Amino acid sequence: MKDDTRVSLARALVATAGILYIPSNIMPVMTMTVVGKTEPLTVLGGARELWDSDLPFVAGVVFLASFLVPLMKIGTLGWILLLHGTSLQRRRRNGLHSFIHKIGSWSMIDIFLLAVLAAVGQLGVLAEVRAEPGALVFSTVTICCLLATEIYKPRLIWEG
Amino acid sequence: MIGISSPVVRQDWISCPHCEAPCRDREVPKGSELACARCGATVIVHVGRKTLQPSMALSLAGLLALVLANVKPVMDFEVVGRVQSGFLLTGVAELFRQGYAPIALLVAFAAVIAPLLHLLSVFYVSSACCLGLRLPFVLRVWRFASSIEPWNLIPVYSVATILSVVKLKLLGSVTWQFGARWVIGVAVFSLFAQQTFRERLVAERLRKMGIKA
Repeated sequence: MKDDTRVSLARALVATAGILYIPSNIMPVMTMTVVGKTEPLTVLGGARELWDSDLPFVAGVVFLASFLVPLMKIGTLGWILLLHGTSLQRRRRNGLHSFIHKIGSWSMIDIFLLAVLAAVGQLGVLAEVRAEPGALVFSTVTICCLLATEIYKPRLIWEG
Repeated sequence: MIGISSPVVRQDWISCPHCEAPCRDREVPKGSELACARCGATVIVHVGRKTLQPSMALSLAGLLALVLANVKPVMDFEVVGRVQSGFLLTGVAELFRQGYAPIALLVAFAAVIAPLLHLLSVFYVSSACCLGLRLPFVLRVWRFASSIEPWNLIPVYSVATILSVVKLKLLGSVTWQFGARWVIGVAVFSLFAQQTFRERLVAERLRKMGIKA
């Protein structure tokens, strides 16, 4: 892949993730039915529910991985790509690229959580977990960020 | 590149594993390392007598654990006397059934297929290096192992499994099953295999076998 194509593709992916980030947090990712009571859950709603259940540590992990990590990735990659082709802050951009490369995959935690809950939550009206369209939007945000980080190589920070 | 005391400089050029800046290949003394002058990443470390045996053992253990994690149930969930068992791939099948094939494929790829391919490729390359076998396509498999590694998300999956139990305990009773140990086992073996499968070590061992990276 040519370098220009890499940059354009990474920009398009980050822009897509940025546009879809707000709907991914507004739309429910799953619906949980417990003893006949159905409740739609958003990414933040899931973290808040854990917080309300006196599980602040778990709520913190979900909040960090599902809400903050994608936001940080979009913001950081956007900034790195905005400065592409300039010599400004190259070392800092390089360091941040490494950092988001390391933490980026943790935003998949909510999708895996959905898969595990859907695996055992098939007990009809007693307990049922159903995926919602928000899960598709959230997965798209996560995948766009992961792909953009892989496509935009650190070499481009120095050679662009 | 930052210099070191009296290194043995070779004719070959290698690139920084992070920013791909060119660097003259050399041997570094024990306790020293060569850092990239451009990005600061470690380019060359002292390899000495280190081998890839830990990578070979860990990747093989990871592969066995992955098989067991897929054939044993991970947990049982019980609500008012009704019990449901969950396997690693049950969630994938359920998401397919609910009409969310892209998410099902994503979960299957990141939690099963990518870890399998990653561990297989690490095992292939490390056994070639350890046993001195000139296996076909070893360089291609090595490159493939590097490119598939970021998609091996089984450690994230194992944390999600633990979190899901916390959530499910609010709704009913959860019993860990044997598969859960193997899911966590794959995650641990994968992480350690990644740590021991050092790029420089592989390059050095392949070079000694006459295979130029």
